[in-house]
Amino acid sequence: MSAVNKTSTSKHRTLGYIGLSVLGACIGLLFLLPLWWTFVNSLRPGGDTFRFLNPLQWETFFTLTPSLDNYAALLSSDLGLATWNSIFVSIVTVIIGLAICSMAAFALAAIPFRGSGVVFIVVVVSFLIPFDAIAIPLADLFRDWNLQNTYTGLILPGLGNGMAIFLLRTFFLAIPKDLVEAGRLDGLGWWGIFRRIYLPLSVPSLIGAGLTLFLFQWQSYVWPLLNGTDAQHILGPIALSNLQGQFNVDYGVMFAGSIVLTVIPLAIIIGFQRYFIQSVTTTGLK
Amino acid sequence: MAVAFAFLAPALISLVVLRIAPAAVALWESFFRESFLRGGTVFVGLENYADLFGNADFNNALLVTLVFSAIVNPLQIGVSFLLAVLYTRRAAGSKIWRSLVVLPIAVPPAVSAVVWSVIYRPDGLGNSFLALLGLPEQPFLTSPQQSLASIMVLLSWIGVGYWMLFLIAGINDVPTELYEAASIDGASAWRKLWSVTFPLVRRPLAFVLVADTVSNFLIFAPVQILTKGGPSGSTNLLMYDIYTRAYTLGDLNKAQAEVIILVLLTLVVVAVQFRLLRSSDSA
Repeated sequence: MSAVNKTSTSKHRTLGYIGLSVLGACIGLLFLLPLWWTFVNSLRPGGDTFRFLNPLQWETFFTLTPSLDNYAALLSSDLGLATWNSIFVSIVTVIIGLAICSMAAFALAAIPFRGSGVVFIVVVVSFLIPFDAIAIPLADLFRDWNLQNTYTGLILPGLGNGMAIFLLRTFFLAIPKDLVEAGRLDGLGWWGIFRRIYLPLSVPSLIGAGLTLFLFQWQSYVWPLLNGTDAQHILGPIALSNLQGQFNVDYGVMFAGSIVLTVIPLAIIIGFQRYFIQSVTTTGLK
Repeated sequence: MAVAFAFLAPALISLVVLRIAPAAVALWESFFRESFLRGGTVFVGLENYADLFGNADFNNALLVTLVFSAIVNPLQIGVSFLLAVLYTRRAAGSKIWRSLVVLPIAVPPAVSAVVWSVIYRPDGLGNSFLALLGLPEQPFLTSPQQSLASIMVLLSWIGVGYWMLFLIAGINDVPTELYEAASIDGASAWRKLWSVTFPLVRRPLAFVLVADTVSNFLIFAPVQILTKGGPSGSTNLLMYDIYTRAYTLGDLNKAQAEVIILVLLTLVVVAVQFRLLRSSDSA
């Protein structure tokens, strides 16, 4: 009796295992589909985008004659320049932003001073005010300051990131104070303690904070739309959305641009996967 | 003290000038109005706010935003939770399938909007799939009844994987002994999900609820790229309404008042959610 029971539960288990696997696979593939379709269409001429859609066929999702023509065309187009702008703006933001945010986090975590409570409140308030909501009043201020259509104007709002400061501060708090004492005995000042002790110990959290800064800039849409729309300073997402809705759109080039704008952050996320997951989840849970 | 401020100054200045000041400016300017008679602006108190609440377009935008959040937030969180449960079960290749669900978070919002604008075309991929299932062709974005739902689907494609990451982290933190104990007590899979997993991922779930709500209040790119608030105002979310008020209608003062309303609305909803979550915690 018990033997029968056992085989039936193990059969039940196997069925459940197969069922869950199939369900998981179907859902995963469904999520991949829009991006895969974009990728396939970036490899064929724009005129063919709608050719294999009705009815659905294998050629909707595969092509036997892939070509990189659209990517070559992208290089010489405005969208190509816009992508370079996005890369430039994001890199500068990450470098300067990390310096600024890690210094602030260090002061909040390691240096005891009066008023640190107030400063912390400023950080928290600035992070409670959603940036996109205040982008319109800020764009008005930037017009007064003659920062419209400049790289400075595009980069500035991404530098001070409350989230990155928060993340780094949490990590810095875990660094034992004994190390600070030891540094002092070796004659280090605060700057030396920051540079020689805190920064080298916190590479993982610096990568996490750097990713936060990078994604903020790379994905931003409202701000570059309000602040940088001339041909020299336009960013990738804005240039791409300008294509959409135009009468004579080359869908092939549009899809190639979409893939490039997606693959760059994707490569960075995959490269730093461990730190990305860590930074994402610790901000939410701890 | 001086040292601390030297370290803090760059970040503090940028936060005050680029985050807090524009919010303060918006609040200040929302009490003024352009005066054509005297040139410059005049103080009008709360008149801009009163005008907004008497304005049909604004009221519609407010209503659309509230309906949108009331549907999209529970939907996204529910789906993320179920997917998190699915992908933490023992199954073949679940890490791979899971990463496919996470993949869209790398896609910038403007890119996803552009890609989906092609999917939603009458001759696009969306209708090809409906045809495969034997369903009639749908208008998607050009129909006032379907446009908001179409945007919700697109946003869920982007967002669900992101929120799922938090919930997976939460589920993985649940000690396995609890499941073993439940198994010994003869609990069914549903029972375990409801009585063990669900209560123990309350913290990440609460975070996801609040963060998702805030991000959905600020949706802009898909509206601007796909529907421009239409057809007939059916997708005119507050962020887009603020943008058109400021730049198409050129009424910056009223747009500032609307910014303040949006920020307050966000803060109130977040505060209410916190209250509810806390009281259910102690219960």
